[in-house]
Amino acid sequence: MNTMLNLVNRHNKVFRRDRMLVFFSILSVIIVIMLYAIFIQKTQVDAIEQLVPASDQLKTMVNEWMVAGLLSIIAVTTTLAALGIYIKDLETKVMADFLTTPNARAKIQLSYVINSLLIGFVLSLIGLIACQLFIVFMGGSWFSLEKIAQLIGIIALAVTLSSVFNLFLTLLVSTQNAFSTLNTVVGTAIGFLCGVYVPLGAVPEFVQKIIMLFPISHTTVLFREALMRDSLDKVFEGAPEAANTYEIQFGVHYEWNDVIFSQLDSVIYIVAAIIVFTLISLWLYGKKNK
Amino acid sequence: MELVIDVKNLSKKYGSHEAVKGISFEVKKGALFAFLGTNGAGKSTSIEMLCTLLEKTSGDVKINGVSLGSRTNNYLIRKAIGVVFQQSILDTRLTVEENILHRGNIYKLTKKELQENWEFVNRYLHLKDIAKKKYGTLSGGQKRRADIARAIIHKPTILFLDEPTTGLDPQTRVFVWDAIKKLQEETNMTIFLTTHYMEEAAVADEIVVMKEGKIVSKGTPHTLKEQYTYDELFVFFNNGVDGTSLLTQHDLNFAEKNGEYRVRVQSTIHALDILKELQNFISSFEVKKGSMDDVFIRINEEVPLT
Repeated sequence: MNTMLNLVNRHNKVFRRDRMLVFFSILSVIIVIMLYAIFIQKTQVDAIEQLVPASDQLKTMVNEWMVAGLLSIIAVTTTLAALGIYIKDLETKVMADFLTTPNARAKIQLSYVINSLLIGFVLSLIGLIACQLFIVFMGGSWFSLEKIAQLIGIIALAVTLSSVFNLFLTLLVSTQNAFSTLNTVVGTAIGFLCGVYVPLGAVPEFVQKIIMLFPISHTTVLFREALMRDSLDKVFEGAPEAANTYEIQFGVHYEWNDVIFSQLDSVIYIVAAIIVFTLISLWLYGKKNK
Repeated sequence: MELVIDVKNLSKKYGSHEAVKGISFEVKKGALFAFLGTNGAGKSTSIEMLCTLLEKTSGDVKINGVSLGSRTNNYLIRKAIGVVFQQSILDTRLTVEENILHRGNIYKLTKKELQENWEFVNRYLHLKDIAKKKYGTLSGGQKRRADIARAIIHKPTILFLDEPTTGLDPQTRVFVWDAIKKLQEETNMTIFLTTHYMEEAAVADEIVVMKEGKIVSKGTPHTLKEQYTYDELFVFFNNGVDGTSLLTQHDLNFAEKNGEYRVRVQSTIHALDILKELQNFISSFEVKKGSMDDVFIRINEEVPLT
């Protein structure tokens, strides 16, 4: 069997068989769902009812808003958890064992990244299916094929960005203790940095700017646009002013000093961030293994 | 005799600290070679350099005639060596078979080769009963068997073992040793090991003792014992006998502790003469041959053993 395939397969098994690791990788997702059930949904419905009269579509739209945040968080936490295997291998000398085989260190390192992409992608797809079922169960409709294709595309972007971003963070630590701290910080911060726990409009302007600059939050924006567009048009039918206020307050799209970011802008920003974090990671990796 | 490891002036510096200070030694093909030394003597650093895990600062190392250093050469060396690490490096949630086949696959072996090698390791380490068990559920001895199996899955010609029996129960230590000896004898594999157990080093063909980054002694167990140890006679005297003056009369070199007299003798045979002289005065005696422990302690006298 191909060496790379074999290594990825091994990392994958190590991840899958560690039930606690899988559970903790989606813990943030469970927290989002709980927060949402407890109060986020109600606050948001109340806020929208100030703008437009309540409609059947309203709840679905808010559900879709939550699902969008959830999908971007899942990409981050699962890819990070998968990279945890690398740190564990480093500390327990498994890496040294791999390095006694006729394989380049870079190749071995790459296998962890590929595994992280794979795990992120698969768990995000499972997340997507769960979200679709949730939306339908709560009275929403099935996604069109076009929408599914679009969502899978965004997942691919989100997982790639999250993976290289997390790789960059992972290369900064070398012990399991430090990694566990990193994991906690990322798991906590990501919900805020993507405007999932608290809507964008509810935080001070400079925090809004930080969120807009944070590349991963752009994946949330793309998910929101893709998931909510139909419902948005229905809920805010004939009220373009209200629609615009809502979309900016709740981060469906970003407005920076009166300039509105298009979806394409977000995609470009994400791709640029992927390239930047890949280059920084390569540099860090080179420095670490001089 | 063909040399499989040839080390000349090997050294390793970490900043201003020199962990290994220009050591030289040779290992013959098929030998059981033991590396002794207290913690911090530089054993692990040396072994890591030989295994291509750590870059040397200076010196020449040839393994199977290949110079250590360049990437291509290191790959050749890696194919020829197997390493048993001090700690477990297999995955706890994978079965022994999965673990070993996964690691075996990284050596770019064909399916057939891997299958053959799997049978080969089974022959020496008897994995049948544990092959389908998860590594994490195994006992210490079973784990060690799996660790060694992993290290030889690509049929290396040299096997490095870093304290392979530390923390194992006596029965398991014997098993591990039997497996190592059998591998050495039947496949002519060269065994290079570090150990803290002196009685284990005693079965090696050659021993190198390191201290503070330098080789302080080398030789066969026999020559080292001759060089560093002496045999001793322990005697207890009957009540009322003044052992001290008696031994002094006989012009013997001795030490006393709680009534036990420790007498240095040239050889165990020599003890017989002394015993004949003293037989009416002593209540019990014991004769001890110098051991590898003594060699180790003598060499490291001012360094406390760990």
